[in-house]
This record gives sequence, C-alpha cells and structure tokens, in this order.
Amino acid sequence: MKIELKVNGKRERREVPPSRTLLELVREDLGLTGTKAYCHSGICGACTVLLDGAAVSSCSLLAAQADGAEVTTIEGLAADGALHPIQQAFIDHFGFQCGYCTPGMVLLTKALLDEVPEPTREDIVRYMGGNICRCTGYAGILASVEAAAKALSTKD
Amino acid sequence: MPTLEAADKVTGATLYVGDLVVPGMAHAKVLRSPLPHARVVSIDAAEARALPGVVCVLTRDEVAAAGIEPVYGFVYRDAPLVALDKVRYQGDIVAVVVADDLATAEAALELIEVDYDELEPVMDVDAALADGAPLVHDTFSPIAPELRPVEGTNVCHRASIAWGDVEAGFREADRIYEDTFSAPPVQHCALDLHACVAAIEDGAITVWTNCQSPFPLQRELQRIFKMDARVIVPYVGGGFGSKSRDRLECVVTAAAQLAGRPVRLVLTQEETFLTFIRPAYRGTIKTGVKDDGTIVARHVRFTVDVGAYAISGARSANNTLKVATGPYRIPNALVECDAVYTNKPPSAPYRGLPTTQHTMAYETQLDRIARDLGIDPVELRMRNLVVDGDVHITGDLLRSTHAKECLEAAAAGIDWGKPSERPDKPAKLRGKGVSCTIKYTLTPPTRLSENGAEIELREDGLFEVRIGTVNIGQGSDTTMAQIAADGLGVGLDRIRVVHSDTALVPVDSSTTASRSTYHMGNAVLDAAAKLTADVLAVASQLLERDAASLALGPDGVEADDGESISYEELVRRSGGPLTALGECVVGGTYTAPDGTEYPIASTFWSFASAAAEVEVDTDTGEVRVLRMGAASNVGKAVNPDSVRTQLEGGVGMELGPTLFEQLVWDEGGQLLTAALMDYPLPTMETSPLYRPEIIEHPLEGGPFGAKGMGEIGSVITPAAVLNAVYDATGVMFHEVPLLPHKVLAALEGRK
Repeated sequence: MKIELKVNGKRERREVPPSRTLLELVREDLGLTGTKAYCHSGICGACTVLLDGAAVSSCSLLAAQADGAEVTTIEGLAADGALHPIQQAFIDHFGFQCGYCTPGMVLLTKALLDEVPEPTREDIVRYMGGNICRCTGYAGILASVEAAAKALSTKD
Repeated sequence: MPTLEAADKVTGATLYVGDLVVPGMAHAKVLRSPLPHARVVSIDAAEARALPGVVCVLTRDEVAAAGIEPVYGFVYRDAPLVALDKVRYQGDIVAVVVADDLATAEAALELIEVDYDELEPVMDVDAALADGAPLVHDTFSPIAPELRPVEGTNVCHRASIAWGDVEAGFREADRIYEDTFSAPPVQHCALDLHACVAAIEDGAITVWTNCQSPFPLQRELQRIFKMDARVIVPYVGGGFGSKSRDRLECVVTAAAQLAGRPVRLVLTQEETFLTFIRPAYRGTIKTGVKDDGTIVARHVRFTVDVGAYAISGARSANNTLKVATGPYRIPNALVECDAVYTNKPPSAPYRGLPTTQHTMAYETQLDRIARDLGIDPVELRMRNLVVDGDVHITGDLLRSTHAKECLEAAAAGIDWGKPSERPDKPAKLRGKGVSCTIKYTLTPPTRLSENGAEIELREDGLFEVRIGTVNIGQGSDTTMAQIAADGLGVGLDRIRVVHSDTALVPVDSSTTASRSTYHMGNAVLDAAAKLTADVLAVASQLLERDAASLALGPDGVEADDGESISYEELVRRSGGPLTALGECVVGGTYTAPDGTEYPIASTFWSFASAAAEVEVDTDTGEVRVLRMGAASNVGKAVNPDSVRTQLEGGVGMELGPTLFEQLVWDEGGQLLTAALMDYPLPTMETSPLYRPEIIEHPLEGGPFGAKGMGEIGSVITPAAVLNAVYDATGVMFHEVPLLPHKVLAALEGRK
C-alpha cells in the first residue's frame, strides 16, 4: 500500500506491506537508524518518535497509521548542525552513558516540554517514567530535563 | 567532562551493531528448543529450505559436513554451535535459518520439524545435586586450568579456599550465627540487543558484534574455522556482562559460510532472556564473634547455578571465593563453592557477579549480629573493617583500602544517626541501612601482560590511541584519551581513539571485572612514555638539541630555548608516523617496603559502601528507596563525572533485582517471565535520590593511582536496602527481590 508522510520536514512516499511498522519504515526504508529497537512491544520507549508532535512508540504503530502525518525522529531535532537545547542539556548534565535510549529520551523530553513548558519535578518523573534507561539510574536524565526546561524557558 | 562521543549519541549518529548494513547481507533467525532437556532424534528442514527466499538452514549435519569444530567456549568448552545430541534448556539453539529477509526467515522456522525425546530436566541446584539426578552434560570439558569438575555429577566446578583454622575459630567465639541467603536469576536488559554480522571473504572471517571480549572471540573463530578472523566491536549500548562472552558469533559465522553471503542476526528481547542470564545464588554463612563484636571465624558455602552451559559461570564462582568473607579482618575462614549445571539458560557475569550476593549475605547477617549484641551497625563495622597493611584471607597485603572512610561518606549521604522524616501515613515505616564490600579484579596466576595499547603520532599531527577496551557506555574512550593526553603532556584535542577492532588494536583480554581503567590505562601510559622518548629522540636529531632540553608541547616539540618543530613536520621529516606499544604487567607477587613478599590474588582490591533510606508501606508491602548514599575509594578519578555516573548507574540498575526483578520458570522448565511485559525494570519513578561520593587514595601501580570501579555501585546495593528494611520493620530478609506480597507475608509473620 502507498503511504505519504513528512519525516523531519521532508516529504516521503513509499510503497509498503500493510504490516510494516512505523519503526521499520524509519529504520529500514528511510535508513534513519537513530531510532532504536529493544522490546518491540511498546514498553521501553527506545523507539520513541514524534507523530504530529506527540511521543509515540513507533514499534507499536503501523506505518499506515502515519499516513499524512508529520514524523520527527532524532535526526530531525538539531537544526543545520546546531544541537537543540535539549540535546545540549543531555550532554552537559550526563543524561546518557551508552546512548542507546537517548534518541527516545530526548524526543520524549521534547514532547514533555512542548506540552508542559515549566514542569515540576513530579511532572517530569511521571512523564519520563515511560522510557527505560539501564545505564544512568535516571539521575542524569532528570537533571538534563530540568536543565532543558530552564534553557528553553529563558530562550524567549 | 562529557565523553568524546557525546554529540554523536544525542543526535542518533552513533552506530551500534544492529544499525550496520553489509552489502549482500542475508538475515538469520534461530530455531530454539521448546523443551528444557531432550535428545534431538531428528531434524527435517527440507520444507524450510524449499521456501522461496530461504538461502540455507544450518543444523548439526551442516556443521559436521563443513568440518568445523562443533563446540565452543574458551573457559569451558561445552557449548555447541547448534544442538548435537541434546538440547539442554528451553531456548537452546537447534538450527539457524538464513533468508533474504526477516519475515521469510521467521516463516521458515515454522517449517522445520524436530523430533525430540524428552528427558527429565533439573530446574534448580537442589534438583541437580539430588542423588540420581539426570546429568546435563555426560562429560566435562574445562579449558581454564583452575576448574575442577566432579565426575558423575552436575557439579562443573568445586573449589575452596582456607585461611587459619576455622573450627578452632568457632571454638573461640562467644556467639555463632548461621544464615542462608538466596537470589534468583535476573537478566541484564541492556537495550542494545545481542547482534552480529558475519562475512567470509577470500578465506578470512570478519565479524561485527557487540561482544565485550573481541580477542578471545577472535581466537575461538580461528580455532573453529581454521582461518584468519577479524572481530570489530563498535559502540555497544550496554553490556553489564551479558555480552562479556561470545554466544552467537560462531554459529552466525557457520551460517555465513554455508550461505556464501554475509549474515546478520539480531536477537529479540525475548531471546536475550534465553541467551545469557545472571545465575541463581544460594549461600550459607556461619560467623563466630566475640561479645565485643570482633569477628573470629567465618565459613561460607555457596552454590552458583550456571545453567546449561558453563561458558563462564564456573570461573565466576571460583573468582568470588576470595571476596565471600567481606572487607573484614578475619583470622579464620573457609569458603567453599559448587558451580552446578541445570537446564536453564547459560549464566554470564552480571555487574558484580556473586560478589553482590556475598555482600548481601555477610552484610545482612552483620546487622543481625549488631542488633543481637546491642552495637550500632556502623560501629560494629568500624571495629572489623580492614585497613591498609592488613592481610586478606588470600594472603594478599591490602593497600588503598579506606573502607572506613567509604562507610562514613555513604552513611553521611543519608544523614545516618538522624531519624527519618515522618512518612505521610502511620502504616508507612522508614529505616536506614548500610553495607560495605570488597571486590577483586581478574588477575592472571603468573606474571604477564594481558593487554597492550598503541599510540601513533600521525602525519596530521594527531596522536591516535588504539585500545581493545570495548566502549559499552562507561566512557572508556574518554578516560583513555585523558590518560594519554596527560601522559604525553598534550591537549585532549590532539588525541583520537580507535577501539576494539582486532585488526587495528593490540590484544586485550576483555572489558569485564572493572579491569580496564587500571590495565588499559597503564598500557596507555606505558605507550605514552615510550612514544615520548621516541619523539624526543627524533626531535633531538632534527633540532640538533639535547633531548633533555626538549618536551612535548601543545603543537609540537619545544626546546627550552624557544626552538620548536611541529608534530606534522616532525613526522614528515622522520619518514613516517611514529608508533609505540605499551603494556601492563600484572600478577606474580608483591614485595612490601619491608621486604616481605605477598601473593597477588587480585591486582587491586576495591572498597565501597552504600547507605539506603527506605519506606515500607505495611498496608501494601511496597518498599520505596528514598535515598541512596554510595562511596567508593577509586584511587584516582580520571574522569570524575564518569566515576560518579557509574556509581549512580550501578546502584540504580541493582535496585531492580533488589525490589522486583526475577526470572521464573515453571516445573516443566518453561520460562514464565518471558518478555518485558512480565519483567518490570526500574524507571525514573522508582529511582531514589542519589548521593554518590568519590573517595581518592591513590593506588600504587594504578595509572595516576586509579583503579576500576564500573561494577561497585551494584555490588553494595541489595545489602544496604535489606538492612534499611530490617531497621524499619525488624524483619530480616534472606532473599531478593522484596516483592510486596513477600514483604506482607513476612510482616504478618512478625506479628
């Protein structure tokens, strides 16, 4: 079946089997390997992408469900080679070690801060609790999200 | 400071094995045994082979026809590439299908008919050790010389160490305590799934994999296939021991050989649970003390459930004999272990190995002793903790200990001595607990160097550091780059790191056991010193100055009279890049300043403490960890941010097995907790406030005095939490995880 969508601002048209997941479309058909896979069951969040701005587990969506939508993957966050403030915050506050969960965490943070620009610590913990990290114990991730919120609120 | 690869990781540019595409590559899927123990009578793959898109199916027949060695393992050679006569756990590898795409490979799996003759399984250590128990392996095949199997049993290794006279010690004791502790299997759950791509071209093998031991794997591939092999390990998304040994690479290479094409295998998350797990542990600890709390004797007997293939589980049990009695002055000790085969997935090292469970055992018992004697738990520890100059139960002289300082720092992190804040309802109880530990690192039995590091001054004026250390997320490239920069006396911007490609870097034994900062760091320093001497010698000729008046500067070699030559020009005029190879010699004996010679059972010993503040909800049985203090004497923190985050990460990871993670099998040998849906992992919601403290007392012989510490946060965690729960409720738990229904049952029992 034919689908047409925007990925990182670029229009893409693809012919895919009906069972194709959004994750497979992104990684294999579009070669964007920044989005990762672990549980393939919508639990861990490693495959998080933004679908019309909302954070979704791309392993649990059919590519067909993204027809006509705007998808943002980690590759689409930085503008012209400059790091997004969220990405810079994750670097400055040690929000990752092995980096495997990081694309998903960064995009989930974007979705959080778009929805709740001045989150409390409880807001952050509840929202980010959906994504798994095995390396950091989450201390660095919490610090990164708090720093990103500050950076984005002082930007304008 | 952030790691060198930080920008790539936040932009998704870092490539892990699962992201790699090799031209012409086909896709593999594994056919796994549905039974825990059975003879494989026949395998019929004809229908699978006939499916359009299937390239080949590899079974024991194809392995035999190819004339390759059918069994692998460099510590214990007991794991077949694919099942030969038997399958030994539910999930064991029976065949490998190679197809043009994954969907076809999956469909082909359904078409393979296997005829099994079921055998009685042994699903735990008790069953495996019972009289007349079925044998998982009919013959033993240990490779490492220290392994001692017991013929006619499922014990693949039995060993002990003794110090003093433990029976005499118990006779001297005023009181004797005996407790048994246990921990079930769990899984590492590194998000980067086990994966490899194997290709054979011009009679040579290339394997891309996320294995933490590329050089031993290379040797195994060369032995099995009798051809040259190159192993390339890119960035790895977490290992924690689950990738410390090879498990897939040999069979995927055999599949590639049969297919005549490169083959990629990426496991599913469910398959990782059937690949490597943390072994089940049970230990009985008997301790004799004087009334003033002085420990006079300790006897530990423990078993490690290695699963179906020992691959590495037997040696892990053996290695922890030397830490089972704890960081305490103990004049009489006996430690005995059995590593036992069962029909469960093979065990792999898991961050801290049984050192974590030993710590849980001796520390939890120690709090019981403290309560019984009426001595504060911290005070009791202070009376017994080792100090520099003490001799351990292995005969080693202990240096760079400072265990007491670690305990003080960890305890301070949770305001030890001050009562907890009042919880929000009366059914909630709060408590505080501490733990101390001693950890070893992998150490050879004789004096030798197990790893090298190479540094090259390139034509572009940059220094390329080549190391076998696998970057699993612990920041190893950055740590080694910092050591190289400091050793050479140049800026970090002049350093490039090449890692874990057997064709490009010197040999390294493994990235495990917290060994890399010390061993690879020293090799890098050694290479830096040798290269500096060579560069200065060349510069001395080119500048016509005495080498003693020259030094490496930020952009080139500088003479003390202001004359200089850039690195680029030096390389050009000397006819090519300059390279130096460094090593790290360990093992043998240690001669103290007073001339006494001591054995070296561990190249360095690590000391750390944790302190936990918990809240137990007596209505629901839920245990929440509010704060965790953790302090470790790391000798020298080369990258303090890396050290701090490794402490936090180790603690955070181990809270899972402490509170809710466990793998469970039914009596028929089927894994019930088969996927993430059945296996909760720590999230930001379950995480405590961390209070990590870095203690630095330089270790003689460490690079800038540093020792490794990647595992220590995990090792100290369960004990501190159990002790905090004991403080809060008066109930002493002997096993983990602290599931709510178990906590409720124990609280009921206390009433």
